[in-house]
Amino acid sequence: MARLGRVVLVRLAGSLPVLLIVLVGVFVLLDSAGGDAVDAYLLSMGGGDAQMAAELRARYGLDGSVLNRLLFTLGQYARGDLGWSIALNRPIGPVIAERLPNTLWLMGSATALSFLLGSALGVLAGRRPGSVLDRVLSGGSLFLYSIPSFWLGLVLAVVFAVQLRWLPVSGIETIASGKAGLARAADIARHLVLPVAALGMIYLALFLRIMRSGMAEAWGQDFTLAARARGLPDWRITLNHAARNALLPLVTMLGLQSAAMLGGSVVIESVFAIPGFGRLAQEAVAGRDAPLLLAVILTSALMVVIANLLVDLAYGWLDPRVGSGAGHD
Amino acid sequence: MTRPFLRRPEALLGGAILLALILIAGLAPLIAPGDPLAIAGRPLIPPFTDAGLPLGTDRLGRDLLAELIHGARTSVAVGLSAALVAVFAGMTVGTAAGFAGGAIEAALMRIVDAFQIVPGFLLALAFVSVMGPSLWVVVLAIALGAWTGPARLARARVLSLRESDFVAAAKVMGMSPAEIAFRQIMPLALPPVLAVASVIVAAAVLTEAALSFLGLGDPNSVTWGAMIAEGRNQLRSAAYLSIIPGIALVLTVISTYLVGEALTDSLTGRDKR
Amino acid sequence: MFATISRRGVLTGTAALLASTALPRLALAQGGGRLIVAADSEPRQLNPAIVASNGVFFISSKVIEPLAEASYDAGGLKPLLATGWEGSEDGLSITFALREGVSWHDGTPFTSADVAFSAMEVWKPLQNIGRSLFANLETVETPDPLTAIFRFSKPTPLQLIANALPVVSSVLPKHVYEGSDIAENPANRALIGTGPFKWGDYRPGEYYLLTRNDSYWGEGLPHLDDIVFRVLPDRAAAASSLEAGEVHLAAFSSVPLADLDRIAKVPGLSVVTRGYEALTYQLTVEINHRTGILSDLKVRQAIAHAIDKDFVLDTIFLGYAEKATGPVPANDPTFYTPDVTTYPFDIAAAKDLLDEAGYREGPGGTRFSLRLLPAPYFAETRQFGDYLRQALAAIGIDAQIVPHDAAGHIKAVYTDHAFDLAIAPTVFRADPAISTTILVRSGQPDGVPFSNQGGYANPDLDALIDEALVTLDPGKRVALYKDFQRMVTADLPLINVADWSFTSVVADSVTGVATNPRWVVSNWAETGLSE
Repeated sequence: MARLGRVVLVRLAGSLPVLLIVLVGVFVLLDSAGGDAVDAYLLSMGGGDAQMAAELRARYGLDGSVLNRLLFTLGQYARGDLGWSIALNRPIGPVIAERLPNTLWLMGSATALSFLLGSALGVLAGRRPGSVLDRVLSGGSLFLYSIPSFWLGLVLAVVFAVQLRWLPVSGIETIASGKAGLARAADIARHLVLPVAALGMIYLALFLRIMRSGMAEAWGQDFTLAARARGLPDWRITLNHAARNALLPLVTMLGLQSAAMLGGSVVIESVFAIPGFGRLAQEAVAGRDAPLLLAVILTSALMVVIANLLVDLAYGWLDPRVGSGAGHD
Repeated sequence: MTRPFLRRPEALLGGAILLALILIAGLAPLIAPGDPLAIAGRPLIPPFTDAGLPLGTDRLGRDLLAELIHGARTSVAVGLSAALVAVFAGMTVGTAAGFAGGAIEAALMRIVDAFQIVPGFLLALAFVSVMGPSLWVVVLAIALGAWTGPARLARARVLSLRESDFVAAAKVMGMSPAEIAFRQIMPLALPPVLAVASVIVAAAVLTEAALSFLGLGDPNSVTWGAMIAEGRNQLRSAAYLSIIPGIALVLTVISTYLVGEALTDSLTGRDKR
Repeated sequence: MFATISRRGVLTGTAALLASTALPRLALAQGGGRLIVAADSEPRQLNPAIVASNGVFFISSKVIEPLAEASYDAGGLKPLLATGWEGSEDGLSITFALREGVSWHDGTPFTSADVAFSAMEVWKPLQNIGRSLFANLETVETPDPLTAIFRFSKPTPLQLIANALPVVSSVLPKHVYEGSDIAENPANRALIGTGPFKWGDYRPGEYYLLTRNDSYWGEGLPHLDDIVFRVLPDRAAAASSLEAGEVHLAAFSSVPLADLDRIAKVPGLSVVTRGYEALTYQLTVEINHRTGILSDLKVRQAIAHAIDKDFVLDTIFLGYAEKATGPVPANDPTFYTPDVTTYPFDIAAAKDLLDEAGYREGPGGTRFSLRLLPAPYFAETRQFGDYLRQALAAIGIDAQIVPHDAAGHIKAVYTDHAFDLAIAPTVFRADPAISTTILVRSGQPDGVPFSNQGGYANPDLDALIDEALVTLDPGKRVALYKDFQRMVTADLPLINVADWSFTSVVADSVTGVATNPRWVVSNWAETGLSE
């Protein structure tokens, strides 16, 4: 266990320079934008005079040079302070803490859905490659993969929320309901059904295809033929041998997709009005709020780093030939 | 190279659709001359009711068919350019890293890491908002999130080729390291990268649509994503406005995948069936 | 099912869970009830005394009240915190009589000291509109707790101040703000006012909750138990939520115009266009007069002739707008005059004007190119941008749309002046002196949004604007502003295309809707829910 802890620490420390590159890059990018946080603020106020704009810029330290502001931000991070959001007029730490769970729920559930359903269907499809069932499943999943997620989300919302009224149209939970405990959890779950379906269906194809080809490969190999000769039932062969064969590439895909999934949730959050990370990023960009955008992107990057770390650990556990932490390149 | 295509009806179908699409994109100014954004008739004519405007008109009375045809041009252009930029940038960085080794390699690969851990769409969103949504900015924004794959593939290939005999021979012949890297090695690293290029094209078309959906498309050119985004406000009253470009988008992405898959199998010499 | 869980609701968590599996419907508590409203944005600063904007008023006007509210009755004003106002002969002072028996939400009585503090410490030095409107305000005297006398250094028309009251006069509690950094006071995020509703809760990205003020000064008011502003930034989501019965009211045209026809036919929902008269927007083409070509009046006239206003009204606004004749909207009861220069849609005339100006068609039929920057923050300004590009192409002007997001647009147009034509949603706020003359008056420093940043300078027009500002007699003031409209339409420092207002989609159960010309941004004391 101590070895594991060290691996985790080393990996996280190793990603520090990368995070620094991300930080500086995003800072410079946002600084080159036309308009700053005060322009965005004046717009929301419906105008203001020149002196007011100057006072506001001084108040939020926007009149300093890029380098000064970058160093100031870095200094804040070093002290563990995420800084102050100009657009929201609040400290950034609590904002991130509020929004992160929503996105994690959305992403986590969508990943679980696409992984489980995708691999289950992949087993079915790979059982008899080229069969009608295989063609329907493969074709259907490819079709889903080709649909823009926002479009799928809009259609799902119209059908299941507006027409059938089975599920809520948008939001993460019933507003100001005063619910707690299980009732609240059930409420959040109901709100997550449509967005998770819209996001998860899209990535289903990825897992289905990997499982399918893994299965197809395994079925032609000696050990499955031998198992069959020994009279083992098909479902046991499927689980014990073939599925196992496809597990490693599946887990790899899980890591690779974590960043894409996070990006995809931006659009889904917008369609379903879920106050998560993606919408926070949009608000930060629209408000030209460099500290907030930095914090959002850094946290996202950190999440991807952690996801990949977990994948590597899982890799080492699934396949003892690979040492933990060496699952790269 | 032709065999896998002929053996797979899906790939054949995908290829046919893609070919038709590229033809339409290339010939758009001939098939639908004039500005596709010009107002051609009454607003919101439903499809198949007016022979002059077979697919009807949008909110401002623009010809939907003309928009669709010119949209194909933008979608193909954005998809291909983004993939081209991503592949070119990725190959260059990957080859340079793999061939140079040492500190340069470490530094370049850390930059690759940095781009890989930032969600590409988030980066694209920030980039387009900051730079202003012109078509080239959108292409660059998409490429920003897509070049790391080719970079890794190219580097892996270069690493395996670096010590091979013909590189040694080239050194003996007095070729400069840069020449060896980009003239001799890079072409050999191309096949695996090209195999992923089709995925990049398809993803680029989808990303462009998502950006347009969030209002970050170029208003001077027609794109299917912008058409869907425009039409979604009338999703309930005039669904055809977003369904027609939606179908075009899905067809394009599917056919790109199908062709890409066949291409991958033949390029990497792997054929499952 | 949310409406069953009102303040008076007795449902337990389990029962609510059971109810949640049933169809969501608007079961309403008797009397009272919870009104759920769609809100499309979350203002960073909610203090209406500092930020006098409609986005802020939408939420904060229920908590913090102004001295007077706009009214459909003659005179146009309904007293709120002030019961009367009177100007002196010389125009140097205005005396307000204040309402008796009003208390702040924390129980402290409301007095003239609060008004004096708000005027001198907030409206004049901090407020986006008050900074210019109250520039000449010297002191506010408080001879007794219910009288406030505003003293000005220059003659100030009572008509102007009265017209501005609903917008500029939100009163803050002195005891909460005194001695603090007002702009950063915590009460700006948990408002304390005298209004019919108290601040309840705010969950960023989700909702604002306002609850009934049981000790409100209005007899038997308010009717509602509470108001929830649900944050729904996506316009399609607002429409779906209304249809699914999750929201009672979507204001500020948050349901796309194109969807209104359909949604008006949904049983239980109505489209309401009243309640916005005092916040009329104009669709305006801003012109950069630094661009040599555009400094030629003939070119500006040609552009005005090239715009088919009927098409704009029918297609972009789907009938929910009027043709603009000049910088004052036709629905203003006091200042508007139709007796101005008009520019009917006439492509031939437009082409002739361009020929006369010396800009002949080049190869391909193009005379010259321009940069066109439509404001990105309204669907209508963006769509008009698409239209104007086509309209200008028809007379041989190649307009390239330069896209920006909101902040980028503000910077490009109002600070960098990197535009030739821009499309702005300018606001008329009941009096031309509040936010209209600034659009054409010269001498605006760079970086002031929604002001004359096109470099237009006309000494005659400037003189007229300055004279009207110190003219006390209402009749003379009105006459001067009619001349103002004539001069603007004759010389075209900008082109007004449409007077446009918003629409609300309201559930039929909501009562007391659109009761005044600023209804959506007023206090909703008289709004209720019926079965």
